[in-house]
Amino acid sequence: MKRVWVTLLVVALLLAGTVVAERALQRVERPDPLGRKLLYLPSADMLRLASLGNAGLTADILYLWSIQYYAQYGLNDRFLYLETVFDLITDLDPLYHDAYRVGALIIQLPNTDEEIHKKAVIRLFDKALRNMPGNHEIAEAAAWDMYIRYRDMANALRYLKVAAEIPGSPHRLKRFLGAWSEDEEGWSFENSISYWVEVRETAKTDYDRAVCEKQIYRLVASRDEDLLNPVLEDWTARYGRCPDRWESLVEAGWLGAVPVDYFGQSYRILPESCSAMATESVRFD
Amino acid sequence: MTAIRIIAANTFREALRDRILYLFLGFSIVLLASSKLFGILTVGEQDKIIKDMGLAGIQFFLMLIAVMMSVLLISREIDSKTVYYILAKPVRRWQFLLGKYVGLLATVLVNLFLMSVMLVLFVWLYGGGFDPRLFLATSMIGLEMAVLVAFATLFSVLTKPILGSVFTLAVFVVGHVSQDLWLLTRHLPGSVGRTLVSLLYYVVPNLERFNFKTEVVHQLPIPAAAIGLSLVYGLVFTALLLVLACLKFEGKDLQ
Repeated sequence: MKRVWVTLLVVALLLAGTVVAERALQRVERPDPLGRKLLYLPSADMLRLASLGNAGLTADILYLWSIQYYAQYGLNDRFLYLETVFDLITDLDPLYHDAYRVGALIIQLPNTDEEIHKKAVIRLFDKALRNMPGNHEIAEAAAWDMYIRYRDMANALRYLKVAAEIPGSPHRLKRFLGAWSEDEEGWSFENSISYWVEVRETAKTDYDRAVCEKQIYRLVASRDEDLLNPVLEDWTARYGRCPDRWESLVEAGWLGAVPVDYFGQSYRILPESCSAMATESVRFD
Repeated sequence: MTAIRIIAANTFREALRDRILYLFLGFSIVLLASSKLFGILTVGEQDKIIKDMGLAGIQFFLMLIAVMMSVLLISREIDSKTVYYILAKPVRRWQFLLGKYVGLLATVLVNLFLMSVMLVLFVWLYGGGFDPRLFLATSMIGLEMAVLVAFATLFSVLTKPILGSVFTLAVFVVGHVSQDLWLLTRHLPGSVGRTLVSLLYYVVPNLERFNFKTEVVHQLPIPAAAIGLSLVYGLVFTALLLVLACLKFEGKDLQ
């Protein structure tokens, strides 16, 4: 009996020894200069073979691990091989939407070497769009990331065009594209108006249609104001006063008809600045 | 047919009495439940991970059942000498073997059905919606298991129980990487080597033909021809293995 107790005691002591050693090892900080944990990641081909037909599950495990790994703020060099890791995950499962999205977000985190990281983000999003050409969500995410994080309007527009052209994509993408393109590509009023008219035709809800109408109204008004204001300036220069109504200009042969806005309402003449102003604003229900 | 049915039913009952089957079923339930835990750890699509984990778990545990049960398939009958009593009755050897195969396959398929229902329920419970296509993926795993159990049956008459299990496990591994043999034929320089590797490719089962997990998890279209031809491939391969097993068992010395 005594022997049994001694054996149990020895086993318990040895077990306690391993626990103490393990806990002590946890406290020892070891540098990982080359991203050792990442350096030996096998290739996608090898992992696919080893997964025995479960490449999707292997991608899941790597993805879960990557989220935990990159969430460790203590690791200064954790962003090494970042692109390689997400490239590997998306090689294993090329349709892994979240891996592209979250991978791109993590790559954007470091504030150093922004240009290098931006190129990595672009490569990851381009790969996503090659593998999932019908996925407007990923293209839209890419556009917003380029717009908000990097202020790269050329790439933002490129991704937004892709997103907007995907059948079934939300109507707002076409609207964003119009708004961004107007500013970035310097569209003329005519180009902008014809774009918004075209977009209005594709609207499926009253709200979408109303937003387009508002844009067309704004553009038509701006275009007309640009045309009418010089006429008012000339009138003021000739007669020494601002006209109080458009009919005066029509009667004098300066205008063919009373100018009206997109909704057929007559423009107002602001006496203080002697300028034309649209009277109606589009309301949303 | 009656003899096969009776032997199959007995094999099935015997298998159900083995606690190891319940253990695997329990394990698979734990695995499916833990898939929720993995879902929490992720950012974004939880149901994708639950589906991936569930389908891989089902495949893995069914493979284990096939491998473990193949150890006992024939050897237990010989050890307990029940095979002599059975074969002394108007039961042909091939009927006995087919009965054992059907019984083992039924055990696997019942487990498969329970696990599939569980997986569909889990996905539904965790917000992934009712996805009946999961049954397609699990049915194809069932077809894969039909081939694997046929291999287990063949090995159980060809070799010793432990070796039979090892070989069945090896077939499972090789069957999932054999597609690369086909790719290898394109890179080999000589025609002799290419022919040999091609032959090897056709001899070894390509279990990836039954893998529809990606299509099901990502809701991709699956060509009807892919399902139909996989079905034909699996059934023909199974029939071939069972014929070989029966031929070998006919001449086997059971002493």
